[in-house]
Amino acid sequence: MRSRDGNHSFTLRLCTIILLSSLALNAGEYLISYKYIVKNNVLFNESLDISKSMQKCKGIPAQTLILPATKQKNFIQLVSHHYNEFIDYIHRLSLDIRSKDTTTNNQINSTTIIILKTTCFKVDFNDNFVKISHLKQPYN
Amino acid sequence: MKYSLILISLLYMTACAAQEKKAVPEITHIPPVNKAETIAVPNNTTINVTYKDDKKSKMCPAKMQHPMPKQKKDVLSIHEPLIISVVGQGVAPVNTTSPAQAYALAKRAATADAYRLIAEKVKGVKVDGQDLIKNMMVKRSTVRTSVQAMVRNANIVETTFKDGLCEVEMEITLSHSDFAQ
Repeated sequence: MRSRDGNHSFTLRLCTIILLSSLALNAGEYLISYKYIVKNNVLFNESLDISKSMQKCKGIPAQTLILPATKQKNFIQLVSHHYNEFIDYIHRLSLDIRSKDTTTNNQINSTTIIILKTTCFKVDFNDNFVKISHLKQPYN
Repeated sequence: MKYSLILISLLYMTACAAQEKKAVPEITHIPPVNKAETIAVPNNTTINVTYKDDKKSKMCPAKMQHPMPKQKKDVLSIHEPLIISVVGQGVAPVNTTSPAQAYALAKRAATADAYRLIAEKVKGVKVDGQDLIKNMMVKRSTVRTSVQAMVRNANIVETTFKDGLCEVEMEITLSHSDFAQ
């Protein structure tokens, strides 16, 4: 139905739809896994794997990290730019710890592995900041 | 007859007194206070023994068992959260390109060590030992310890880096609601 002010309400609705869809397009879900190995108190290997999720993740956004936005709207580049902050954020999530020490004839060999199992993260790109949220799996 | 009876009774009394003397154990060797002794063993091994300065060592061994001092146990209660604090240590690898890289890598190693210590305190350690003895000699002695746990919400309190050694102080707050089912 046409309003008295012309197409004002229709334009407003259209703008809202465009805005929401653009926001939705900027938001993405990524699968991230992290692992590092420490041997005899020296860092041996570290790996951070990031992949865009092929299907929608289930879960509730739990812990959030807000990073300042860069020119490129690429999540991997953003993470490499703010690597230490992102690693500190990951450390606050639940990490799996596996440690093995072997003492043979009073000589010690120790290996500690820290793992973040593949977890889904929701990433929202905004004008000035990027919001990264860990999607917590709902309890069954 | 009367004299013989008195004699028998006297003999019996002296025998009893002798038996009582034997029954009371005599501590012949009281170790001197804080004295170290070296005992020589036939196969050229020496064992150093140090005696403790204990006044009660003169007492009967059965009476020496004094009650253990009460240790304050860290027990998680409903009203009071439990804070566990550890210090992890890490060393930078030899082939680093800059001091900043060395610091970053040492900090990562120290963090992993701190996580392991927290896991050890909260969940516990599995210990497995094996000794191989051949011809009455220990050929190989192996002790394996392992920890496996999931740690969440551990915070780094302080980081220090000195002489290539990085120390990370980590803290975790355990509340009753985390474990309540």
